[in-house]
Amino acid sequence: MVSLSWKHHTLIQALISRGPLKEKEFQSIFTAVTGRNPGAAKKIFDKYLLEINKELSYVHFELRACRDQYDGQVCYGVVNTVSDDQSKLGTKYSVPQIAFFKGIIEAIAQDEAAQGCISGFDALNIRLENQLPSEASSSQQQQAPAAFKNFSMSQKDKTLDELVRDKWLCRTSEGNIGLGIRSLLDLRSWFRNNDVPSCEVCNEAGVKADLCPNEGCTVRIHKYCLKNLLSQRDDKVCSGCGKPWPLGKVTKEEAVEAAVDDEEENETQATTALRSKKRKGRSQRDSAENFSSQASLASSSGATRRRVTRSAAHLN
Amino acid sequence: MADEADALSQFGISKEETDKLVSEVIRFLLFKSHQNSGCPIKREDLTQIVTKNYRQRNLAASVINEAKTKLSSVFGYDLKELQRSRTCSNAQTRLPQSQSNADSKSYVLVSQLPIEVFRKHVVEETTSPMTGFTFAVLAVVQLAGGKIPEETLWHHLRRMGLHESDEHNPVFGSNKQALETLVQQRFLHKEKVSGPEGNTLFYDLAERALDAQVSERVKDYISQVMEKRTFATSSLWMLIMLRRFDYKLG
Repeated sequence: MVSLSWKHHTLIQALISRGPLKEKEFQSIFTAVTGRNPGAAKKIFDKYLLEINKELSYVHFELRACRDQYDGQVCYGVVNTVSDDQSKLGTKYSVPQIAFFKGIIEAIAQDEAAQGCISGFDALNIRLENQLPSEASSSQQQQAPAAFKNFSMSQKDKTLDELVRDKWLCRTSEGNIGLGIRSLLDLRSWFRNNDVPSCEVCNEAGVKADLCPNEGCTVRIHKYCLKNLLSQRDDKVCSGCGKPWPLGKVTKEEAVEAAVDDEEENETQATTALRSKKRKGRSQRDSAENFSSQASLASSSGATRRRVTRSAAHLN
Repeated sequence: MADEADALSQFGISKEETDKLVSEVIRFLLFKSHQNSGCPIKREDLTQIVTKNYRQRNLAASVINEAKTKLSSVFGYDLKELQRSRTCSNAQTRLPQSQSNADSKSYVLVSQLPIEVFRKHVVEETTSPMTGFTFAVLAVVQLAGGKIPEETLWHHLRRMGLHESDEHNPVFGSNKQALETLVQQRFLHKEKVSGPEGNTLFYDLAERALDAQVSERVKDYISQVMEKRTFATSSLWMLIMLRRFDYKLG
């Protein structure tokens, strides 16, 4: 059994005490304790995370990364992977508050337009009675609604603030309520169980995503995934229905610039052998298959991370 | 570590089951600590996880020991034991006479990281005001000789800008509640003492404040404050300082 060092412990404790951290902050902690840059020493960084997760699995925790769907930035967090009696204790929120929160997540996740948010007004009008526990006995059913019915507007408002502060929810720039990074990290399995459609590119829940404009087509892709997709492909069509993606999202100039960027990157930078192999393989497969084959999805999501930063920086 | 593993195997239950129990105890400690903001967790809550389904004697103790080992090796947390050394008048449970001493123990999770690393990377910024408050209060009580009447404590807190009646402090909310939290977290102990003029409430240092690590840091804090002469304007402070300063030099 590997015993983790104080360096591993620092990373774990930082995420437990401070909550989810943005990639930059998390990597700076890594650099501070190990003296290595995660970007340059990726293998070592990944090894640390693997070692940590091997030990954390004993207690059903996981150190996970996910992308904040509102700003495209990667975040890291320690999440609980199993719901049991102990985890039910791990909250400072009351039963009505949790019911309120659940109502909000459902409303956001089930939005067919995949906007990823609801208005503040709608949030305050969420009805708690719809969240009654399914195993409630008849006497419990009498009790629960009383606490739920008496949950006032001001309590809801206060709860919203607390949930935003604790990063379960977020406030978007337009003043709407969206899912916070904690929810995005924690609720991966909930999204799957509740049939929230996934992004075609990265396979994570597409809570805030662009929908294929073709009415019959159910394909949805995160904005940041779409940007990469369009910058890589010459034929910018939807993999589900073959109709072209509206280029209004990414202008032609930007797409061309990003494509040129990538070619430069591949020629001048020392990319891994895997990446250059993939590029060859992909151009061979281009004519035959469409983009959404599993293999290229898996490899592209790994490769796109660097591209996002470069092209995004360029576009700024 | 091997010892604990062997110890667990003597109970005649499978490794999967013991692993599950240890995991549940660890999870309970982590989640409960989060929920009660670092207030001590009763040992009886931990033993109950084991005794709920298993009747072997001493199994609970072995499971807790293994959990302690794992918390240290995986997370870098020390499962610190606090002995309930006195019957607190404000104790929420009255322990029956037959209950063994072991069950009056309680635990807190304390990071084992070097202090500089902890401060730089792990400290959660929003807890800093409470930490500062804790140090200030413990310093006052320590300088008063380890025990102080309630009135006098609030007198000193008022000089720091914290009034007893303030329910809407922008940092602490209710100042009274902030002080009460220190009692719940076992930094302070409060006790009613009947005297000639009726009952007086006294605060004195409780287990966590008496722990060597904590009291060292409080002493550091005091000496830093003395250097900055923050309290020098109060003549009462000068008196206390002169009377108690020799304990640091001695």
